[in-house]
Formats: sequence, C-alpha cells, structure tokens
Amino acid sequence: MSRILADTIAFGKQYMRSGVAMFFAFAFPILLILIFGAIFSSQGEVALPLPVQDLDEGPYSTVFLNILANISVVDIEVIPSDVDISEYISDESLLVALQIPADFSSQVGAILADASAGPVNLTLYGDQTTSTYGTMSQVVQAAIDGMNYGLLGESPIVGFEAQSISLEDNMTFMDFFLPGVVGLVVMTNTLYTITSICAEYKSRGYFKLLATTNIKKHEWLLSKFIFYTVLLFASLLLTFAIGQAVFDMTSSLTPLAFAFIAAGGFLFLAMGMLLGTLVKDPESASAIANAVGFPMMFLSGIFFNLDGMPSYMQAISKVFPLTYFNDGLRATMIYDNTEVALVNLAIVVVLGLVFFVLGSKLLSWKER
Amino acid sequence: MSAEPVIEVVELSKQYKDIRAVDGISLSIPSNQIFSMLGANGAGKTTTVEILEGLRSPTSGSARVFGVDVAKDYRPIRSRVGILPQNFEPFDMLKPTEAIEYWAGLFDKKVTRKDVSDLLETVNLSHRKDVVSKKLSGGEKRKLGIALSLINEPELLFLDEPTTGLDPRARRDLWALIEGIKKKGSTVFLTTHYLDEAEKLSDDVAIMHKGRIITRGSPEDLVRKHGKLTVIVLAGAGEVGLKEVTRRGIDATLESDGDLLVPVRDPTEMRQIFQKLSGIELKVKDMYTRKQTLEDVFLSVVGQKMDEGVLGK
Repeated sequence: MSRILADTIAFGKQYMRSGVAMFFAFAFPILLILIFGAIFSSQGEVALPLPVQDLDEGPYSTVFLNILANISVVDIEVIPSDVDISEYISDESLLVALQIPADFSSQVGAILADASAGPVNLTLYGDQTTSTYGTMSQVVQAAIDGMNYGLLGESPIVGFEAQSISLEDNMTFMDFFLPGVVGLVVMTNTLYTITSICAEYKSRGYFKLLATTNIKKHEWLLSKFIFYTVLLFASLLLTFAIGQAVFDMTSSLTPLAFAFIAAGGFLFLAMGMLLGTLVKDPESASAIANAVGFPMMFLSGIFFNLDGMPSYMQAISKVFPLTYFNDGLRATMIYDNTEVALVNLAIVVVLGLVFFVLGSKLLSWKER
Repeated sequence: MSAEPVIEVVELSKQYKDIRAVDGISLSIPSNQIFSMLGANGAGKTTTVEILEGLRSPTSGSARVFGVDVAKDYRPIRSRVGILPQNFEPFDMLKPTEAIEYWAGLFDKKVTRKDVSDLLETVNLSHRKDVVSKKLSGGEKRKLGIALSLINEPELLFLDEPTTGLDPRARRDLWALIEGIKKKGSTVFLTTHYLDEAEKLSDDVAIMHKGRIITRGSPEDLVRKHGKLTVIVLAGAGEVGLKEVTRRGIDATLESDGDLLVPVRDPTEMRQIFQKLSGIELKVKDMYTRKQTLEDVFLSVVGQKMDEGVLGK
C-alpha cells in the first residue's frame, strides 16, 4: 500500500505542476460546456436567412411574403428585382434563394377565376442535396399551403403540435451534452495520458528503473487509477456546477454517475496501458492514441445522438467502449434509468478488466 | 569482508538478432571493491550490467548476485542493490527531496526529513533540494540519480557510465562521491569508457571488447602486464624520427599525433637509451619520460585508442 501511495503522490505532484494536464482536466470541459452551450442552447430562437427575389411585387406576392415572414425559423432577405438571380447567388455564395415570377399575381388571379389554368410555380434555387435546401423547401411548401388554404377559404383538417420527448420538464440540450463531455474528459485524460506516459517511461528508461524497485505493474496502474478517479470526480463536480449555474440544467449527479467516472477511468487507463505496449516514442504515442481516440470521440455519441446516424455507423459505434460509457451515464444522469445504467456499467467494467489483464501481460518494463 | 563473491558470472552470453553483445564472459567480484568494466561504446558493458540488474535475460550462462540467479528471480536482492542507469534522467517535475521520498516509498522504506536531508548532503545537492529536477544541471541530475540509488543503503551499487557528458569538475565531484560510497562498505560495479576514471577509482578493472573480457586486473597490474612501465616521449618526432630511431636498434612506436614513444622496460636501461637518443639528430618539440597508464594498456590490448572508436573494427 505504501508503494501505491508513494507513486500516487509523486504522480499527482508532477501532474499538478503540468499546466497542459490541468487544462485538460478542468478548463477543457468547462470551455466545451460554455461554447457548445452558447451555440445550441438558444437554437429555437435562431432564424435561417432566406434570400427572396420578388419579380412580381404585386398583391399576391406580398401576401405570400407575409405568410413566409410569419414562419419564425426564416429571416427573409430581399434580392433586388433588377439583378440576375443566378449571378447574385454566385456572387453572394448563397446556399439557397427563392424567386417569385414576374406574373405571379396575375396568374394567381387567373387561376382563382379558372382553376384549370393553374398552378403558378415559385422557383427555389440551391443544391438539393444539402440539408439547408431541404429545410427551406419545407418552409416554402408550408407557406404555399397556407396561402392556398387562405385563397380557397378552407382550413386544414390535420395539423400537429410540437411536444418535447424528454422525460424531465425543461430539459435542455446541455443536459444531453454534459454526460458526453464527461465521457470525452475521462477518455482524453486517461487514454491519451497513459499512452504518452508509457512512451515517455520507455524512452527515458523509467520503466527499467521502476523494475528495479519493489513496485509491481498493477500497483503502478492502480496508483494512476486512484489519482485520476479523484481528479475526474473534481472535474465532474466543477463542470456540473458551472453547467447548472449557466444553463439551468435539470440532469442530476447520481451515485452511479460517480461509479461511471471510476469505471471509465479504469477502462481507459487499462486501454492506454495496452496501447502503450505498441509505442516506442512520444510521437508514436500521439499517433496511436489519436487513431483510437478520434473515432471514439465522434462515433460514440458525445456531440450528437447516434439515432440519427446510418445503421452501419450505429453498428460501428457499438465497438467503442465510450459508447457504453456515454449511454450509461445518460441513463443515470438524464433518464434516471438505473437498469440500463447498470448494464452499461457492467460492460465498461468488464472491458476495463480485459484491457487491464492484456496490458499487464503485454507491457514489459524490462528488455527482452 | 565476505568470502562469497558479490557477483559471480559464468560463461554469460547475450545474442541479439545479428549481434553477439556479450560473448561468454566470466567474472567473480568480491565485496567492498570498486570494479570497473572498461570498454568503448558497444563493447557490451551495459548489456552485461542490465543482465546483472535483472533487466535483461541472458541467452546462455549464469549471472548470480549475492548468490541469487538474477535471470530467474531478481526480487530477493532488490533491496540490497542500488542502480544508476546509463543516461539517467530524473522525473522532471519532482524536486530532489520529493524524488527521494518517492523512491524510498517504492522500496517500502520510511524516511524522515532528516534522512532525506542527509542523503542530499551526501551527494552535495542540499542547496538544490527545492528546485524541480528539470532545472538541475547534468551533474546535479546524475548526483540525484546516485542519491536515489543509495536510498536503500545498498550493499552493491551499479553505476553505468555515471560521468558521461559531465564537465571535469562534476566528474571529480562524482569520483569523490563514489570513493566515499566504497569507504562505507559497499561494492561498486562501474562501467565507463573513461580510462582515467577507471584508473583513479578502481581496485579491479576488466577491459571489454566486442562482448569479451580481454584482460582484467588492478590498474597497476594491467600496466605492468600490458604496458611498458615507462616511456620516453619524443614529442613531434614523426615518421622521420621513427626511421632514425629504429635504424639504431631502438624499439619505438609512433602515435597518431606524431609523438614517438620509446619504451623503457627496465629502469636500469634508461640512461643507456637516453645516451643513444642524444646521439641522433632529431627535430623534436620536447623530450620527457611518462609513466604508462590504462590508456596505453587499452591501446596495447585492443589495438587502438578508445577515442578512435573500437566498434566495427
């Protein structure tokens, strides 16, 4: 025990004196929360710009533009009627633009008098493969439907109303995002660090030195586990407190959340030790850790919900341990679903044990 | 002094893919000696030491330290051995006091502040005790390494090239430290490629070349055995001088710097050789006598100077 304590204290002192390490433990998650929170928390108030060229400028085009303006997600920008719209789109690098034809009002009048004369078409310019075009086409279609119903004096029979699917009232994007940030912080602070430590210890001969003392490999890793568990608990508490204070989150810090931090720390430390068997120098450590860490970072549901991804990507995400960490942490922090959380926790612990056994066997402190 | 050797090596070999780093060496080192393994880079010194430290496995042969086969299990002797590895680098962000406390913990040893302070005093590092290690000079880092290697009060201390890259003053400081360690009763196994270091410190020297020990003995014995006791140096005599001297039946060798060395095996011949030399018209910068050193021995047994590089010869 004294060896573990000595190694934990010495490692902790070195870590605390490293500005970069402290940044990744404390400043990094707070920055992520603040930046992503600022971007996504107010997304309901964001209006997408829709450039419109009204070549008609008649009574019906004015009615149509009024209907369009009442749709809160768009902000109409006027394209002068005397410019060529194709050149304007190119010059202004527009993703999408709507054109109302010159004879719009007269044609609408003609159709109202004789239904067989219609319809009159608006033109939506843009790349139809982009999501912006898709969104705008739906917005324009909604405005057209509204105008058609109005002109015909009819009311829609079927409509819909928006209702949040969250189990908690007033849940925000940050409630979903915070567990992802915690997962990211746990992974970067342990996986990346321990892989690079293995490289440093090999290249500077520290492993050989340690091999001449009484400390054993599992004690050495255990001391890192103890240190990181304490550090990540502190990081989680601080990040959560700031998230609560700034974004009024409704998710809660459950005891299982702390269990996830500890189990996740153990999992990624063991994984880092296993990767450490492959590294020879700090450069290769960075490359190997990134090769494993980056796909996990983007395909484990940190920044967005995996349900929106193609099925093959969802299948790939199941390979990554971080997916189970995130799913479990969200289950306990957001949905209070202990059963799902415990299943994911068990997966994290088992994976950690597998990596730990493999890493301990394969990482040699001595030369062959 | 114990009768049992501290280190006993028999027919030890280490084969890497295409290099035989250690080639069937045998050694027996008694306690309370400074034993130096001398050789150029790549001679096999570090491989030998790391086998004795339990850090490498031998290909064949046996290596026993305190009677324990270190290839099978090094643990029983861990607490009796101190190690300063080649190119030792301390943990950058720890201060010397913290590093000593840490290392003591890894040996399950409780140390008081006074213990730490005494150890830093021993290696003359007290004035730098609160500076993070990355700010220490090369010599100070090496002193800290020695302090760490002494934490368990070892009976045997391995110092692998402890003074490489240090300035002359730092080297002399470390020499005094090593002599002090021996005085306290420890055995020191030193590897070095500095001939003056081995000569100054050692009770026993083995010269290693291409994985083999090619000669061994005290520095004085080696000089007596392989050297020529005293030489007359004809500084700057060059090729012309060599030709003139050998034409008169005087044995001489020409060094790469142009100095001519005339060996005097029997002191009674000194006057006679001087008389012969004075009868020759030679252009020399200086003429003097010099006692031979391990450097001359190394030149004699290996066939070239240490600084000319022995590897690949």
